[in-house]
Amino acid sequence: MANDLSLRIVIVDDSPVRAAILSEGLQEAGFVNVLRLEGVHNLLERIYAIDPDVILIDLENPSRDTIEQMFQVSREVKRPVAMFVDQSDSQTIAAAIDAGVASYVVDGLRKDRVRPILETTMSRYRAFARLRAELEEARSQLEERKLLDRAKLILMKARNIDEQTAYGLIRRTAMNEKKRLVDIAQSIITAAELLR
Amino acid sequence: MRRLAMGFIPLTDAAVLIACAERGFAMAEGIEIELHREVSWANIRDKVNVGLLDGAHMLGPLAIASSLGLGHVRVPLVVPFALNLNGSAITIAKDIYTQMGETGEDLSRAPDAAKALGRVVAARRAAGLEPLVFASVYAFSTHTYLIRHFLTAGGIDPDRDVRLVVIPPPFMAESLRNGLIHGFSVGSPWNSVAVDADVGRIAVLGAEIFGWVPEKVLGVHARFVNTEPDILRRLVRALNTAARWCETPDNHEDLARLLSEPRHLNLPADVLRRTLDGRLHSAPGGAARAHPDYLVLNRDGASRPNPDHALWMYGQIVKARQGEWSQDAAREAISVYRPDLFDLAVGAPSPLPAPAPDCVATQFGEIFDAERFFATGE
Repeated sequence: MANDLSLRIVIVDDSPVRAAILSEGLQEAGFVNVLRLEGVHNLLERIYAIDPDVILIDLENPSRDTIEQMFQVSREVKRPVAMFVDQSDSQTIAAAIDAGVASYVVDGLRKDRVRPILETTMSRYRAFARLRAELEEARSQLEERKLLDRAKLILMKARNIDEQTAYGLIRRTAMNEKKRLVDIAQSIITAAELLR
Repeated sequence: MRRLAMGFIPLTDAAVLIACAERGFAMAEGIEIELHREVSWANIRDKVNVGLLDGAHMLGPLAIASSLGLGHVRVPLVVPFALNLNGSAITIAKDIYTQMGETGEDLSRAPDAAKALGRVVAARRAAGLEPLVFASVYAFSTHTYLIRHFLTAGGIDPDRDVRLVVIPPPFMAESLRNGLIHGFSVGSPWNSVAVDADVGRIAVLGAEIFGWVPEKVLGVHARFVNTEPDILRRLVRALNTAARWCETPDNHEDLARLLSEPRHLNLPADVLRRTLDGRLHSAPGGAARAHPDYLVLNRDGASRPNPDHALWMYGQIVKARQGEWSQDAAREAISVYRPDLFDLAVGAPSPLPAPAPDCVATQFGEIFDAERFFATGE
């Protein structure tokens, strides 16, 4: 096992946060040689220099095509590189793509030796996606609150009413029109801008 | 209504697929196309493989290589429609292009431009300089085979005398500016983008090397053909009507605007218009390098997948030593291209005269002998 933990792993990911989360996860699992590469220039040269056993790359990274060329110019690589998953592994491919990551390993490396790496990678990528979705949701809730506050203010000024009455008016309209509060608030803001 | 998820890479030759989705051609056939912009050909292949995409704008050679399991796991793909022929160009860094001009060759003629580059490469080797680096967009692409043919015709060994690398199209111009590469072979509009940024000169149009060469196709997973034959027929019909519309010059302005939208190519409409019209500036503000066949979207049977083209692409794969030859593999490559599915959807076309001297209308350099290659791999 000690041998497996010294496998050289390269992470190619433009998101510093996600790369950090993954690199931390792999180090927690005991892998000591984890390196992150940034940018697109001279990517191949830098990868050759490291001579990794495993390359992990996020799916939104255009450098995937650059890396795949390594399969064609094996004379330039010290060791041939191939996709980790073999024909029988269509479920693994699907799971990895679903998690947003692709992996390549040197040819001949046994699958069971790489499996813990891929499993950590997928679970960290999924965790990152969840985190981002939660942040996105929190942000959009905040945005909606701001819109509602603006709409209330417009109504309070225009109709000379207090905040609670303004809110009640928006809520009633939303219920009558079967719309969300934020949609009514947005219409009020748009109308006010048009009438200004 | 069946909603199809279709991937594309932001390139001018995604035009037919984008127009099909956005200008009502799919709707008219009772299907809906949801477009997904992707960042790599590898993603396109993988997402079609696992079913996240129903089909995609795809490099012809990628469809062949995936079906043969070259470079990656085997993904059986089927091509029922060709999205375009031609549409590429080779751009050379300004200083190298100047050196090519100093050889005295007539750079306006593609074979002489190849010779000029050959002399520049030889001179560099004699002077003990680093080999030049040329980029294409994907290992299995017509762009790779275009530049290999061009280099070979100029007396250059593409595997020994220069280095060939892969760079995503949006980074080409910048890599040329930084001196990381000295030239590239890429689809439109990225040659024009490099010219407009004044970092390179268009040395030769793809159509000046191969006059009738396969480029992007609609690739679907082989299972699609069996599970939803009716949907596939509608899709091919819709694409064919869209392709006819796209090729009509009167629609180019509307099409250029549609493609330029941020969610599609996110590039200036005038650059896209030039590539649709086949008028490319080879230098900023300079004279246009024009070719009637620069980009062919539909006419003269261009949309019907031609199995000869599939064999030619496999031939290029073998020649570039990306895969070994076998007659079984040649047969399999041919069977990726499905003119029968095209005919089933839009009717068989009347026969057209075959291009000369070979199926891709090679303009100079080695001619492709399909029969000999099929029989011997040579």
